[in-house]
Amino acid sequence: MHLRPILALNNLLFLPVLKKIAILLLFCPLWAAAQNFTISGYVRDKSNGESAIGANVYVKEGMTGTATNTNGFYSLTLPAGKYTLVCSYLGYDSYTDSIDLQSNLSRNISLAPLGKNLAEVEITGEKTDDNVQSTQMSAVQLDIVQIKKLPAFMGEVDILKSIQLLPGVKSAGDGNSGFYVRGGGPDQNLVLLDDATIYNAAHLLGFFSVFNGDAIKNVNLIKGGMPAQYGGRLSSVLDISMREGNDQKFQVDGGIGVISSRLTVQGPIVKDKLSFIVSARRTYLDVLSKPFFKYIRPKSEFKGSSYYFYDVNAKLNWKISDKDRLFLSFYNGKDIFDFKDTESSFNAHVPWGNTVACLRWNHLYNAKLFSNTSVSYTNYDFSFTAAQSGFELTLFSGIKDYTAKHEFVYIPNPRHQLRVGVNYIYHTFTPSNVSARQGETTFDIGKIIRLYSHDAAAYISEEWEITKRLKVNAGLRFSYFAQVGPFTRYVKDQFGRTSDTNVYKPGKKVIDYSGLEPRASVRYSLTKTMSVKASYTRNYQYIHLASISSVSLPTDVWMPSTELIKPELGNQYALGLFKNFHKDMFETSVEVYYKTMTNQIDYKEGAEPQDNVFDNPDNAFTYGKGEAYGAEFFVKKRTGKFTGWIGYTLSWTWRQFNEINYGERYLAKYDRRHDGSLVITYDPNPVWNFGLVFVYGTGNRGTLPNGLFAYEGGVSYDYGLRNSYKFPDYHRLDLSATYTPDREKQLARKHARMERRYARKGKDLSTIRLPRSWAKNYQGSWTLSVFNVYNRHNPYLIYFDAQGDFLKGNYTVKGKQVSLFPILPTVTWNFKF
Amino acid sequence: MMKNATQRYLKPLAYGMALVLAVLCASCEKDIDIKLPAYKEKLVVEASIETGKTAQVLLSMTAPYFGNVDLSDPSRFFVKGAFITITDGLVTDTLKELDPSTGYLYLGTKIFGQVGKSYLLTVKYNNETYTGVTNILNPIPLDSIYFKAERDTFGFCWAHLTEPRGQGNCYRWFAKRMRDQFFVAPYNSAFDDKFVDGTSFDFSYERPPQPGERDGYSDQPNAGYYAVGDTVIVKFCTIGNAEYLFWRSYYSNRSSNGNPFAAPANIQSNVTGGNVIGSFCGYSPSFDTLVIKK
Repeated sequence: MHLRPILALNNLLFLPVLKKIAILLLFCPLWAAAQNFTISGYVRDKSNGESAIGANVYVKEGMTGTATNTNGFYSLTLPAGKYTLVCSYLGYDSYTDSIDLQSNLSRNISLAPLGKNLAEVEITGEKTDDNVQSTQMSAVQLDIVQIKKLPAFMGEVDILKSIQLLPGVKSAGDGNSGFYVRGGGPDQNLVLLDDATIYNAAHLLGFFSVFNGDAIKNVNLIKGGMPAQYGGRLSSVLDISMREGNDQKFQVDGGIGVISSRLTVQGPIVKDKLSFIVSARRTYLDVLSKPFFKYIRPKSEFKGSSYYFYDVNAKLNWKISDKDRLFLSFYNGKDIFDFKDTESSFNAHVPWGNTVACLRWNHLYNAKLFSNTSVSYTNYDFSFTAAQSGFELTLFSGIKDYTAKHEFVYIPNPRHQLRVGVNYIYHTFTPSNVSARQGETTFDIGKIIRLYSHDAAAYISEEWEITKRLKVNAGLRFSYFAQVGPFTRYVKDQFGRTSDTNVYKPGKKVIDYSGLEPRASVRYSLTKTMSVKASYTRNYQYIHLASISSVSLPTDVWMPSTELIKPELGNQYALGLFKNFHKDMFETSVEVYYKTMTNQIDYKEGAEPQDNVFDNPDNAFTYGKGEAYGAEFFVKKRTGKFTGWIGYTLSWTWRQFNEINYGERYLAKYDRRHDGSLVITYDPNPVWNFGLVFVYGTGNRGTLPNGLFAYEGGVSYDYGLRNSYKFPDYHRLDLSATYTPDREKQLARKHARMERRYARKGKDLSTIRLPRSWAKNYQGSWTLSVFNVYNRHNPYLIYFDAQGDFLKGNYTVKGKQVSLFPILPTVTWNFKF
Repeated sequence: MMKNATQRYLKPLAYGMALVLAVLCASCEKDIDIKLPAYKEKLVVEASIETGKTAQVLLSMTAPYFGNVDLSDPSRFFVKGAFITITDGLVTDTLKELDPSTGYLYLGTKIFGQVGKSYLLTVKYNNETYTGVTNILNPIPLDSIYFKAERDTFGFCWAHLTEPRGQGNCYRWFAKRMRDQFFVAPYNSAFDDKFVDGTSFDFSYERPPQPGERDGYSDQPNAGYYAVGDTVIVKFCTIGNAEYLFWRSYYSNRSSNGNPFAAPANIQSNVTGGNVIGSFCGYSPSFDTLVIKK
């Protein structure tokens, strides 16, 4: 079975054609005739060897420069001459050096983390204006250091929660997993961890993301203007890079919190060459809740319920030589939720999780050309088992991918960057499958349905600085998708009953789709600190997530495109104005976007999970269109004692399905007219640091019954128009304070105490040795986090509680709201050595 | 030394844990005032015709779900003075209101249901016209019915059916004991042949409450059971596909009552004309009697 996907890859006819185009471009006279040389190398953190991603490397003369890529590599081709080379990166002291470029130069740069004095940071260069200069619009890069300063929910730093504080990115509300970018559904975001896809990026109900902050280095979110190297999703890319592991010395960090604890161990196996990092995290609500329920709340309906999750991240980073690097990364996480209702003998067991592994090879052909090759594996699975009085029902689903990617990047000079690459994924989907048992009898619910497909793409993109003012990034992506057997299609008669079956043998093509996806973005600089950008992207999405209820649950199922489910198509237009103030201390932007989406899927009205049995799951879907538009405002303060941002989005998200809501257009459940966030971090000195987060969003939308009536002796409901009800608005304030004792002072005080004691006992002061538990490198800190400071009861669910008999005239209805999180304080102790 | 350090750090954590747990478990639920959009009432049509009987139509209006509505008198929602006709293509019958002062129940007089015939129902009320179409299909009989005790002398009524292959049949089960007044359909009493097409199988239904027993029925001892000594009459009806889809969506709608995790189940009416909910269902019964002996 593994050979077939590779054969399919070789059959892609366009691959040799693209290689020819790439070679032709190499010989095009695109640059000046003067003798040019290239200075290149790697930029890394001096203290631990971590590559610096997105560091600015430029020369003061002519203000030409570039940024380091995900490996920390930069390449700058300039005419021969003398230059002042500067490298700057937020959080580090700038690097400056004079160079005389008379031949190709290899220069690796080690940056020192900022000194302890955190007073006004001086910006030595002017290249920290990336948001104005780059063609990439609608993108935000978040540094893990920034994320760690924000108030942490339950003591856990959370990347998903942090990106939801940016304009254009909405959370689904408390307890709902997934996030929405510019009106797109939760399945329209490509989440990558070191090149491998993650399908369900959240632990239970979205309280925590699967990303352990200690293992992550960099987070890049692209909301629009998606460049051609990414595809397969309509709305966004969340590209997360793991840390590489300290290649200088052994390091342990961790934290013990009220709900969860984490530990990270990293270090060099061979200094400067081979390093590793292993991070693990576990919650222990299950261990704590058992005694709690036994002694304190024995009558609670939750007694006997438990929940915990764990995750493990590991990475091996091998710098084989200056030309070759190899990375192996791994992630495994699992959530287990157990519910036991002691009264009715009903119990449920719900495990789910992701496993991801990726091997990546980075090769430098020369200073201008390098390539990235990776192979990865990802598996997401979920099951729900409910049992009562000997009857047991299990619902399970999952998705498994084998992926291979290869890309060439060619940087002939600072004004051009060419990328050519191919991607291939072999998907195995297990959409909702059901098995049932009564005592000893197993019910026959048919074979397990599995769906197989090939998903491939080839792209070429070029970033071209046409003039100093005008820069263009243009790309073309060609994508192809084929569903293959083994597969059985149940052909339906006019009653919807199965009249015939079409059986496809393993590997045989059932249906295929392909399309061209042009991508373009343009940046025009109005002044040195102000630019206007525009972008247009066209995306195909071949895999879909169908959600059966209005509240998102892990029961949501991934499906490939089939004969009935056509690929989703998105077109996004964006326009933005970007301006930096006060020497890049303030970054501001205004962006407007308009997006159309076709072939959106949803369950037919009245669909039930058992419709799947002896049937193709895609018969339960109906298809329609989506339209989203809005404006995003963003002001960010990057440096100083106070840093943070304020973001506001005004947006509309519509859906129109012929078979839903009588074919009338309706607002999506996650339509949120106003969405605002305020984030402030205050670092008055190295010992104290404070964080504040305030969010405000218009409530989600839902469908509630608008009328009731009696029918055959029972009460029935007349539901209102789809999503015509708006939930109460969501708002919340979180605060945090972190205390990091000054280690030097602590050691000095300890030494002084020991001196006094030795003096009292008449001991020789020169024999004073600090005990081992006071290791010099140890650093501890305490964080106090309060979530939802003013205890706002944000709605999670709204439902009606009806009592009495309508026909007897004593029928009463009460509206009820369930909220999840009242005010929640947590304390975490963090340590590092 | 290390032990003291550990104690020093972990004690505040332990207090913190207990506090958070206590707070977590008190997940908040409260009453709220829900503001629903302005509501336009719909006409509710509960209409049926069966072999050997005339058409029967119950007509009422929906009530706004939430807000200042007086629900103390359900007869406020009964519809009076509607003009209802039924035709089989040859003869047209005007239904008569049983009690013009209350309205609600309309009965046919001239047309009696016959196997193989199609019927068109027309309701004219408040300057609107609503129509529904149904058929009385060929009745599929049960092979047999029998009693299986669950608890002492109480149990369910079981049936054995050989389902004809490839006909796309749908069914609805009604039953009553000899001493009961009405045939009542239990919960989820309609099914199609999707899983059972062409197979021979057994199934059972519980005993549903008679209209007078509904109040507090589930608290009764032995609720839902038939007892030794009962004589049960089963009216097993064959119905059409559109009618089955109505009943399926109707039961889905009733069970999604207040359940916020379920997709809102709109009822798939087979009566059309605008602001209307309901069905016009043609039943083709076959009867079986079961005497539950000791």
